[in-house]
Amino acid sequence: MIRLEPPVFITRHVLFALVAGGVGGVVFMFFLLEFDRYTSSNAFCTTCHSMTYADTAYRQSAHYNSASGVRATCGDCHVSEGIIMATYDHAVGTKDLVKQLFGADYDDPAVNLLHLPKAAFNAREWFRRRDSATCKRCHTLEAIQGTRANTAAIHQEETAGKTCIDCHMNLVHRKVPSEQTFKREAWNTMVEEELGLAPGTAARLLAGEAMPEPRTEPAPATQLAEEPVAGSSGN
Amino acid sequence: MALTAAGPAAAAKVKLDPGEWGHPAGADCVSCHEKASPGIARQWHESAHAAAGVNCMDCHQADAADVDAIEHEGQVIATIVSPKDCGRCHGQEYREQEGSVHAEAYAIIEARVPALAHQLTGPEMQAAGCDQCHGSQVRVRGDGTLDPATWPNSGIGRINPDGSKGSCSSCHGRHAFSKAQAREPDACVRCHSGPDSPDKEVFEASKHGMLYAAQRDAMNLGADTWVAGKDYTAAPTCVTCHMGAAGKVPATHDVGLRNAWSLNTPISERQYLVVLDDGAKLELPADAKPPKRGTELAKADGSTAKVKVVATPERRRLVMSTVCLECHSKTMIQGFMNQFDDVVELYNRKFGAPAAAIMAGLYDAGKLTPLPFDEPVEFSYWELWHDEGARARHGAAMASPNHAWWDGMYLVGRNFYSQFLPQARAAAGAQAAALVDVHIDDAADHAWRAETQQGNPILGWIPPAPELAPSVPNAPGTDAAAATSSPGESIAEEGGE
Repeated sequence: MIRLEPPVFITRHVLFALVAGGVGGVVFMFFLLEFDRYTSSNAFCTTCHSMTYADTAYRQSAHYNSASGVRATCGDCHVSEGIIMATYDHAVGTKDLVKQLFGADYDDPAVNLLHLPKAAFNAREWFRRRDSATCKRCHTLEAIQGTRANTAAIHQEETAGKTCIDCHMNLVHRKVPSEQTFKREAWNTMVEEELGLAPGTAARLLAGEAMPEPRTEPAPATQLAEEPVAGSSGN
Repeated sequence: MALTAAGPAAAAKVKLDPGEWGHPAGADCVSCHEKASPGIARQWHESAHAAAGVNCMDCHQADAADVDAIEHEGQVIATIVSPKDCGRCHGQEYREQEGSVHAEAYAIIEARVPALAHQLTGPEMQAAGCDQCHGSQVRVRGDGTLDPATWPNSGIGRINPDGSKGSCSSCHGRHAFSKAQAREPDACVRCHSGPDSPDKEVFEASKHGMLYAAQRDAMNLGADTWVAGKDYTAAPTCVTCHMGAAGKVPATHDVGLRNAWSLNTPISERQYLVVLDDGAKLELPADAKPPKRGTELAKADGSTAKVKVVATPERRRLVMSTVCLECHSKTMIQGFMNQFDDVVELYNRKFGAPAAAIMAGLYDAGKLTPLPFDEPVEFSYWELWHDEGARARHGAAMASPNHAWWDGMYLVGRNFYSQFLPQARAAAGAQAAALVDVHIDDAADHAWRAETQQGNPILGWIPPAPELAPSVPNAPGTDAAAATSSPGESIAEEGGE
């Protein structure tokens, strides 16, 4: 029979701490995994009313409705892979929660739409910095065939120095122009026309003023309903 | 502006330094579009643009601040290449078409569109119908996309996001931009065909069109310079007379410059071409003295500019006739133009002017509501000048006898007497004499209606001949026999000719 002789510095207290720390660590890891999983789910994201606008467009997109039944969730695209980066993204993401609670009234459709471009620009930049890592969770460049004659060739030969998001903007959420060509005035006018707001309301809403007057009747067919597929990765 | 000035009769050469084109990103566009849209890539590869090193970006590049600028695969571009963009290299053509009747095609009908497209049918028809020829007012939406109610569009009077008017690709098919294609009569056919402006049909039915079809191989359509009488002599096309170089007449992209008459109006007018100091042009009726140089004139959009040059209708006719000289004698041209002018004047005098006066009277007297097309006579009047009347005048202008007559003035007459007048009288009610018949009763052109006893075998019957022989006083039955036999004989005679 072998008798273990632990080094002298392993006292009972140390042993206890190691075991407790180990178990605690494992429990914490499980907690983090579950926390990241839950906070990446569509159900969690759309807990906030402001996110339901992004959800509406998403539900019309190929990332929600695919022939194969593969469905990307919010987190699949907007939260990095791996527990460390996922946790980091969620930690950074708490600023959205803070803004939701203390910032502008993002639950209001006009305010939401007026802030959408900035959100889209940030999201695109997020994808770009990570070399579109979350796209590549599912999409493998070498395997892209497409349905048209030369889609494969384009992806093999024309993508040097580019990352997915450079070309594939406005896939899932409402269409937003690139930051470079974005015209705030034109966007505001579009929001005002679409939601039946008096001219100038958009600028006041953006400046943080509350809704100045009761709204006139919204335009019967809103752009959202007309063009749900167009959209950008607003977060 | 020297309408007939001697000078280089060939198409204007691009004067820009070649360093101004050959955008470095162009190769990437081509490489990807060879796969993504091989059709347009191939067309461009075979074009004069490609041969000269002009690539996608040279035409499509945009400034990020442009209203219609978009980012596309890392480049800031615009989908629409406006005449202003083409004008960077093709400056002379841009300036010539600017302010031409082509460039104003949207402005000319803008006020008519709601009544016809929106009320009579539905707004959908504006995008699919009117605007495809006349051009749309392209709207860029807040999200940077082009409003599908206004785009795609290559109508020739398109109002572009950059403010310029027109669409070069209306005639110059993308992306080959072939000279030969633009010189073909078919370059005009998308719009100049159909009931209201059957210019393709008129041309094809004319001797000019007949010769063109038979001798197309001799037309030298792809030649670098294309001067009538020098580079080709087989036949004229639309371009030859309306835009082309011939002898000392220089080519022009102002397609209406050589037109002495307005032919698509309720009443034709000989018209001045007024060139304003800002490059815009105006057509003014030549019934008054021409406006003096330096006079301030109001344009269609309300802004004003000063008169720079006025071309009289005689001057415009002279330019057109100079083109004819490459093949025809002066006397023949003169004779032809007289026949044409006579038809236009007949239309004006006999139908156009009285019909317009009758309609004005009915509106003034409240017999018609101001709303267009809610009363039958409004359709009759509209078609009288806009369709049948236009066909008659265009047929005479371009020597198609069938369009001048059967498809034209015959229908004008039929409409006027059998449809327009009865409907106008019905609308006028008790005031028919004062509102309708007053405009035609004393006119010599309409006096024929009073001679109701005048017969003609055209409809198979003529009145019995009056009794000729008093020497046979009592021969009952003779008259009846003559009456029954004569129609049969007449028909036989007609048929035998």
